[in-house]
Amino acid sequence: MKKETLHKSPIERRKFVKMLGSAIAGGTILATTGVLFSKFRTGEETHYWQIDPQKCTQCGKCETDCVLTVSAVKCFHANKICGYCDLCGGYYRSNVKELNTAAENLMCPTGAIQRKFVEDPYFEYKIDEDLCNACAKCVKGCTSFGNGSLYLQIKRDLCVDCNECQIAKVCPSNAITRVPLAQAYKLKG
Amino acid sequence: MKRINTLLATLFLAATSGAQNLNRFPKPDFESGYQYPDTHYALPNEQLWLYIDIFLLVALMSYVAWAILKKQRRKPIIWVSFLSIAYFGFFRSGCVCSIGSIQNVALAFADSAYIIPVSVFLFFMLPIAFAFLFGRVFCAGVCPFGALQELVNIRNYRLSRAVTAVLGVIPWLYLIFALLYAVTRTSFIICLYDPFIGIFRLGGDFGLIVFGSLLLLAAIFTGRPFCRFLCPYGALLSLFSKVSIWKIQITKKDCINCDLCHNACPVDAIKSPYENKVKEERMQGVKRLLMYFLFLPLIVITSAFVLRQFSPQLSKAHKDVKLYDMVMEQERNPQDLISVELEAFYIDGGNIEALQEKVRVVKQEFEFFGTIAGALIGLVLGLSLINLSLKRSRKTYEIEHGDCVACGRCFSYCPQNDFLNLKYTGK
Repeated sequence: MKKETLHKSPIERRKFVKMLGSAIAGGTILATTGVLFSKFRTGEETHYWQIDPQKCTQCGKCETDCVLTVSAVKCFHANKICGYCDLCGGYYRSNVKELNTAAENLMCPTGAIQRKFVEDPYFEYKIDEDLCNACAKCVKGCTSFGNGSLYLQIKRDLCVDCNECQIAKVCPSNAITRVPLAQAYKLKG
Repeated sequence: MKRINTLLATLFLAATSGAQNLNRFPKPDFESGYQYPDTHYALPNEQLWLYIDIFLLVALMSYVAWAILKKQRRKPIIWVSFLSIAYFGFFRSGCVCSIGSIQNVALAFADSAYIIPVSVFLFFMLPIAFAFLFGRVFCAGVCPFGALQELVNIRNYRLSRAVTAVLGVIPWLYLIFALLYAVTRTSFIICLYDPFIGIFRLGGDFGLIVFGSLLLLAAIFTGRPFCRFLCPYGALLSLFSKVSIWKIQITKKDCINCDLCHNACPVDAIKSPYENKVKEERMQGVKRLLMYFLFLPLIVITSAFVLRQFSPQLSKAHKDVKLYDMVMEQERNPQDLISVELEAFYIDGGNIEALQEKVRVVKQEFEFFGTIAGALIGLVLGLSLINLSLKRSRKTYEIEHGDCVACGRCFSYCPQNDFLNLKYTGK
């Protein structure tokens, strides 16, 4: 008697289990989408990684921890707040004896800082981004002895927009955060 | 008066511009008519690329689904693989990828302040939705990691059932730990320990590139070691693929039990016919299964308890906890030469109480989520054990849809699929 009722069931047991599985899977997809959909509306659009120059402590991790072999971080120069000094803390090493362009006097290990005479006593400084490797040595010098017009920033055209920025994870001062698209660069000056 | 004004202005500037916006040197008065150079920095059109990403993702997955389900052809998958490696792999440098997006989604659930980008969400959800509809068409060739391993695969040495069973648990454990570290905002370990990204970016962590190369080397001899034994997203997709609505068939005709497809499958997803020799009464089998399921909560609770005990150790990977330990060490035993982290901490004011409070919250989170993670690990282990004890009788070769990555190798091996149009009638 019992066996008969079993046979009479409209669908097989395995088929039923499979349908149940499908229903659960479909339900999960819908539920997850629904829950996260409510987050999109309140949230802003795509975000991009940027350094807050005010927080940066020039530790040098930008050079070593970016996933790119030459870091996407470059030194930026805010001319508007630069003092155009001859004895530039970012250009010359701190214990420099002679103010000339000999390599032992210069701060930048790759020679990425170009200097141009403007008028007495002012010099214009420019960063050659192809040479810059984001070691932050010049930034440290400029921030310690100058106006802080040299600073590090993530170049948007180089950055591969990692899901989680590797430098942000190791940044000791938590200076790297995502900024909304509208605020393309966090610039100084 | 003027002097006072300047003084006030300087003070105001100093107060508003923060500690590092220094004005040690005044703005120069240029007499030669010097103009400040115009600096503008490149803004690539990321939005456009994101649209192309999503479009390609959907288009390629649909194409694979059509090729696999309707046409039963492998060739399209090879083209898709090349395209995916070139575009998603080398050109887009593999970011954002679906595998990593798990962590963003988990974080979005755990942290209400975190805003998940729509593109990341789509990268997470679309392959799952496609897996639910058509099986793992994403794995077939749209995922550049799968595509890379698929293209190098030449020989097909089968691993023993014991090895596959043990290694098959790893993706789940990886997934659970990735979730744990994502929801606690510690790190995205899937992205951090990605073996192939260094190859796509033509540079990266040496150890990981070596590991990726070894995986590729292994992929020559056995199908897709990363997909099968590491990929946490593949584990997730296998759940949905198992109950997918349209399922891949080796042939649309009847199976003739020739064993050819079984040999062709690189991921061991085709199960050969099997007759259960151990005759067991149905009710006895049901009772045995029930017993297993009674043991399951025991495993779950034990494992949850164990991981809860280990949560302080696990939390040491968190940045704040690391910093706190460093600060404590420094306070106890002051050194002159301090690390960059400590330097940044002390420059910022060195507020130990605030850090302590942060660390307390982090440790609490680790205790809570660690318990859940432990329970999940127990569940995975328990269910894998139960699964091992289940013997199903099969009369023909059948695809295990959870494992099948839709590579399409089996189609051409099946003599029932008349691809060459031989129209052999057997006369």
